[in-house]
Amino acid sequence: MKSDRFFLGIFLLLSSVIALFLMVPLGKLFINTGLLSIAKTLTEPEVMDSIGLTLRTALWAVLFVSVTGIPLAYLIARYPFRGKSILEALLDIPVMVPHTAAGIALLVAFNDGFVGRVFSALGLEMIDTTTGIMAAMMFLSAPFLINGAKEGFKKVDVKYENVARTLGASPMRTFFSVSLPNARGEIINGALMMWSRALGEFGAVVIIAYHPMVAPVLIYDRFNNYGLSYSAPVAAAMILVSVILFLTVRLVNNRYGK
Amino acid sequence: MRGESDLLSVRDVTLHKGAFTLGPLSFDVPEHSYFVILGKTGSGKTMLLESLAGLQPVRGQVLFGGKEITWTLPEERGFGFVYQDFALFPNLSVRDNIRFAGRFRAIEDAEALFEDVVDFLGIAPLLDRRVTHLSGGEKQRVALARAIYSRPKLLLLDEPLSAIDPTFRTAIMISLKQIVTRYGMSIIHVTHNFREATFLADRIAVMMDGKILQTGEAEEVLHRPNSLAAAKFLGFKNILPASVLGIAKDRRLFSVNPNAILFSRHRQDREHCLECTVEEIVIQADINKVIARVGDRTLYAKLPKTMFDKLKIAVGEQLYACIADADIMWLPEAVALEEAS
Repeated sequence: MKSDRFFLGIFLLLSSVIALFLMVPLGKLFINTGLLSIAKTLTEPEVMDSIGLTLRTALWAVLFVSVTGIPLAYLIARYPFRGKSILEALLDIPVMVPHTAAGIALLVAFNDGFVGRVFSALGLEMIDTTTGIMAAMMFLSAPFLINGAKEGFKKVDVKYENVARTLGASPMRTFFSVSLPNARGEIINGALMMWSRALGEFGAVVIIAYHPMVAPVLIYDRFNNYGLSYSAPVAAAMILVSVILFLTVRLVNNRYGK
Repeated sequence: MRGESDLLSVRDVTLHKGAFTLGPLSFDVPEHSYFVILGKTGSGKTMLLESLAGLQPVRGQVLFGGKEITWTLPEERGFGFVYQDFALFPNLSVRDNIRFAGRFRAIEDAEALFEDVVDFLGIAPLLDRRVTHLSGGEKQRVALARAIYSRPKLLLLDEPLSAIDPTFRTAIMISLKQIVTRYGMSIIHVTHNFREATFLADRIAVMMDGKILQTGEAEEVLHRPNSLAAAKFLGFKNILPASVLGIAKDRRLFSVNPNAILFSRHRQDREHCLECTVEEIVIQADINKVIARVGDRTLYAKLPKTMFDKLKIAVGEQLYACIADADIMWLPEAVALEEAS
């Protein structure tokens, strides 16, 4: 009994150090700023436009990766093929590179040369456009959704799919009626991770598109030009909106996803 | 050649998976029959069922009702499949699991069939439950209902009784047997349990290491195994040469049921009384097992407690093991030749 208490005491002490470290800055930001100031900031058109733009482009990025990355995750989870482990490692690289370097890489790949000209002909410009912002967000956060979906599909027993086929479902209908619903939890978690990561993207976005300003760029811009007291309410407002949305999706998923 | 009433004909089917090779396999499944494939774990039984369902591409030829279906997609074959762990869809209720096939194909008299299957398998109280909360037996009945509801001509069952509590097995085996006549379909049932095969099968195929050792009418296969491996797998104990009985010219092997051996200190009024030495005694709850040496062969017997206590058998003792002619089962000559080689 005594050793139990000692063990729990040590673990509680160590846990509280990191928990406080993670929570104190956010708490302090809200306390210092005050709810009134946050509410007032949220009425500023520039702030609202910026937060709206951030949420919108991050959502588009998530939707684009849902359509393209979920099939990729399924292929990786289901089929053995040559170079699969190399592909899996390559998909994780964007998470590891410095974000400004990723921004430069995106510019080199999609703004110049043949690919850049093709994009341009299609009306897709990178510099200072929402397309560019979406590309920057997507490049750095897509692995969260792809990996989440991959783990989800790995947990779906291939026998469910086999049985569905014998019951008359084509491969596509098997995917939508059995594979996807049973991997849904992990996919939604991956999408939430990707979305929250995309909302906070600064390094790559600022290289590609300073304007129109997404919230992280606006916070940086105000901090640089006007100081802490002018940027803190925007930061607090952005965090508040993200947390509310994040918790709502989680709650809905937990309530109806089981 | 395909018989008039054969529903499924498998011709020289092979499948390679890593180091394992299935086949070449050839056998026929008659219409409205219960066909049991009997084989040890790892003998390729599940792989064979998946091949028949079209889930694994094979070489060779698979005919269904005389038509070649070797390359037909699983969704177009119309075979039902029940896996060992039942593979019920966790995202659907019991009801939606059973009705799953109705989303993809038109089911004849769907409502009447649904009611009938639910009634037959006694799953009405489960219909609105989630499948994750069912017991092994309940899951099995739901998986069977789901397969039957798709109105297959052929139902493939992969070790369907292995996850079932032994007390319910007989009742479920009776239901399985009834499916053939009640729903007018054939069943291929794979199992490692020869008692299941004895109860259920009209025809049996004995499978080992990806090959079929013997196939035929259940009675024939169960009583006349054509190889030593098949005999051992079918539960034949005490496989011994005729010379043990003092029949020198006969090259055949015989088998004797361990329960039919009578131990005695004197020669008994039975056709064969063999001198033996008790080597080992295994005490169990209801019976005792006695392992005795007869010449250079080992004899394995099961004795009721009462007889054991009466004789007070001890290790190292010299006794007579007496066997009646009626309890001797002679194996085909081919088995003896196989052992000799």
